[in-house]
Amino acid sequence: MTMASSSWSTWLREPNPASRLQSRLVQAWLSWLRFRRNPLAMIGLAISVALVLMSIFAPLLAPYDPIAQALGNRLLPPGTPGHWMGTDDFGRDIWSRILFGSRITLYIVLLVILTAPVVGLIIGTVAGYFGGWIDQVLMRITDIFLAFPKLILALALVAVLGPGMVNAVLAIALTSWPPYARVARAETLTVRNSDYIAAVKLQGAGAMRVILGHVMPMCLPSVIIRVTLDMAGVILTAAGLGFLGLGVQPPMPEWGLMISAGRKFLFEQWWVATMPGLAIFIVSLGFNLLGDGLRDVLDPRSSGR
Amino acid sequence: MSLLSVKNLQVTFNTEAGLVEAVRGVSFELGRERLGIVGESGSGKTMTGRAVLRLIRPPGRIMADAMTFDGQDLMAASEAQMRALRGRRIAMVMQDPKFSLNPVMRVGAQLMEGLRQRDHVSRAVAYAKAVAALDAVQIRDVDRVMEAYPHELSGGMGQRVMIAMMLIPNPDLLIADEPTSALDVTVQAEVLSILDALVRDRGMGLIFISHDLRLVARFCDRVLVMYKGRIVEEIAAKDLLHARHPYTQGLLNCLPRIGGTRGPLPGLDRNAEWAM
Amino acid sequence: MGDVMALIEIENLSVTFNANGRRVRAVEAVSLKVGEKASFGLVGESGSGKSTILRAICGLAPVSAGRIRIGGEAVQSPRGKAFSAQVQMVFQDPYASLHPRHTVDRTLSEPLAIHGIGDRDARVMTALTDVGLPTSFRFRYPHQLSGGQRQRVAIARALMLKPQILLLDEPTSALDASVQAEVLNLLMRLREERGLTFLMVSHDLAVIDHMCDRVLVMQNGRAVEELSRTALASAQMQTDYARSLFAASADRMLEG
Repeated sequence: MTMASSSWSTWLREPNPASRLQSRLVQAWLSWLRFRRNPLAMIGLAISVALVLMSIFAPLLAPYDPIAQALGNRLLPPGTPGHWMGTDDFGRDIWSRILFGSRITLYIVLLVILTAPVVGLIIGTVAGYFGGWIDQVLMRITDIFLAFPKLILALALVAVLGPGMVNAVLAIALTSWPPYARVARAETLTVRNSDYIAAVKLQGAGAMRVILGHVMPMCLPSVIIRVTLDMAGVILTAAGLGFLGLGVQPPMPEWGLMISAGRKFLFEQWWVATMPGLAIFIVSLGFNLLGDGLRDVLDPRSSGR
Repeated sequence: MSLLSVKNLQVTFNTEAGLVEAVRGVSFELGRERLGIVGESGSGKTMTGRAVLRLIRPPGRIMADAMTFDGQDLMAASEAQMRALRGRRIAMVMQDPKFSLNPVMRVGAQLMEGLRQRDHVSRAVAYAKAVAALDAVQIRDVDRVMEAYPHELSGGMGQRVMIAMMLIPNPDLLIADEPTSALDVTVQAEVLSILDALVRDRGMGLIFISHDLRLVARFCDRVLVMYKGRIVEEIAAKDLLHARHPYTQGLLNCLPRIGGTRGPLPGLDRNAEWAM
Repeated sequence: MGDVMALIEIENLSVTFNANGRRVRAVEAVSLKVGEKASFGLVGESGSGKSTILRAICGLAPVSAGRIRIGGEAVQSPRGKAFSAQVQMVFQDPYASLHPRHTVDRTLSEPLAIHGIGDRDARVMTALTDVGLPTSFRFRYPHQLSGGQRQRVAIARALMLKPQILLLDEPTSALDASVQAEVLNLLMRLREERGLTFLMVSHDLAVIDHMCDRVLVMQNGRAVEELSRTALASAQMQTDYARSLFAASADRMLEG
């Protein structure tokens, strides 16, 4: 076993990789070693991994059905045997609801990650690479979206589209791409004039190839960092929409919705709103720490050596 | 007594890829003279210069059996004591003035800042001293330069300003790390002769770090040739052309010459025993 | 050269940049001719416009007046794939001219992919061997290479499409003296083997003298004087500027 692990680690440190795959893995391994040095980033990673595990194994971990009501057990305080986080006003176990709520949070986060940054990256790199009127048009559109507060714009969109989880995700994605476009454009402007872009243009490469193969890989790290830092914001916006009754609909166990429901008993039964609030707080913190750690590892300016 | 004495200096970096030994046991003595350190990139010449000022950031580590400047133990000095030395008694000129001058501050203000903060002199005195310093590096239109921002100066002008700034506190030792390699050849010669005259007149010690053997030969009294963190040869500058060490000879021979033969340039044998 | 057709012909070339509304003339009315398989040098200090001429040939700098002809034909704008297969460039700073997130393999196979050339594996391996790099370097990233090794990769990349003309923009000024010697030797060898035409820019007169048959001295965007190699070696300059450049050349310092 130790033999195997030591040969793996030499394979991962090989200065002369034998294939594209190994070369990429060696780089990833070195980044991981650098990442591991940052204890705060490791905490962030642990929280994010915990969130994923929680949502995958929610049915196994949860002691109760998150939706079934048990009116005999209404508003039990934390520490009650069998309900260590207490129960809400319908007698549902809060811990079970938080576990299942993590699925919804993760679902929203993943959908936003798969849409907003991609749109932002494409618009930003195209605008930055071509410049001129294309840049003007695309960036003015970006400015229009940026001009509205995120939650207000999302509210307006949900009001038009109607409440619901998918529409909430759509609204969040539509409001969160402009910063990525800005970041990608700024990065593209510095990359555009570099010698390695000049070299590939000189080889006859078209704009598509230059943008996709050469400009985007350089913008990706900044966008990824920005995304992880924004995740907290996405979760909060989703929770905000839920809180206002425009996102996920009851009786689904969405964290924002749970806070909203607990608002009524905030002074007497504080745990109903506090527990989901803590969950949002911890997950947001986790993504923020992860983002900070990734910045140290991925930032092209700091990984020059 | 020597001004600076370094015994068995080592600089190591603990990185993900393992321990990197940038300087491996360098020893030298420096009086009030001009000492050149030459070597290729990665030979440890810059790290040696920075280690004297203890300007090596973690994960870098400095170790030495002894490192004394004018009787003061640099290895034992506190960070506050080092700060008092840096700039005032040991000054450093870097390669590119673009990165050493504050881009949002006028040159005059930068020159006077140290005087005002460190020596608490009046504005008028500081101004007079700054003007005198610019005069000393042969800047003609002093008034314009005092009011200029660094980006408004040419490379040669910027490097002169840097030298002027370093010389205001009248240091005993000047460490110049490739002070002219960002400059054009004609400007290079000018800046060097200014530096030369200043060092001579003020009786300073000078450590001149460069990759260019020919420059060092013309400009220094004594030369240390470094390779892979070690000193491979110490030689009087005037004898450099007759250097005995194969590495030094190799460095000299691999340069093309005007009117030389068209044949392949001799390469450097890096596999000989001295390179180990 | 006289009537013999020149491979590279530049006539009255001017390049004007538009910097914040101000028009900056980087090159003014420069003409030169480089014959086939010749090696021509451009020398001057920073701001002399020598690199801008190379960039203008490649379409990377705006030509405001004058004509550029390659093989007797005026160059197209944009330059197009036929141009790429004929003219390639090696940049000054090997730390900036290789994509930091592409392996050597990707860098070298990219031109093949663009031009739809097959048999990439074999071609990449041959290219590495040709520039004196071990094939085990194939999947390294630029930051795992030294400056000299990177410049070899850049040279290999420029040769992937088997061009006739190589534009060299200070190819060794960022390198150590001993590494410079190796790279210059490599360029000499490749030129001989493949019958390449060089147009080389440098601030170092000794390097230009070593590599080129003729040299054009430039100052402030203008051509000052064109010298043959023998005229340079025997210091037969007509202009003061060329003479002062010669006198300040690092090469002269040992005697001085």
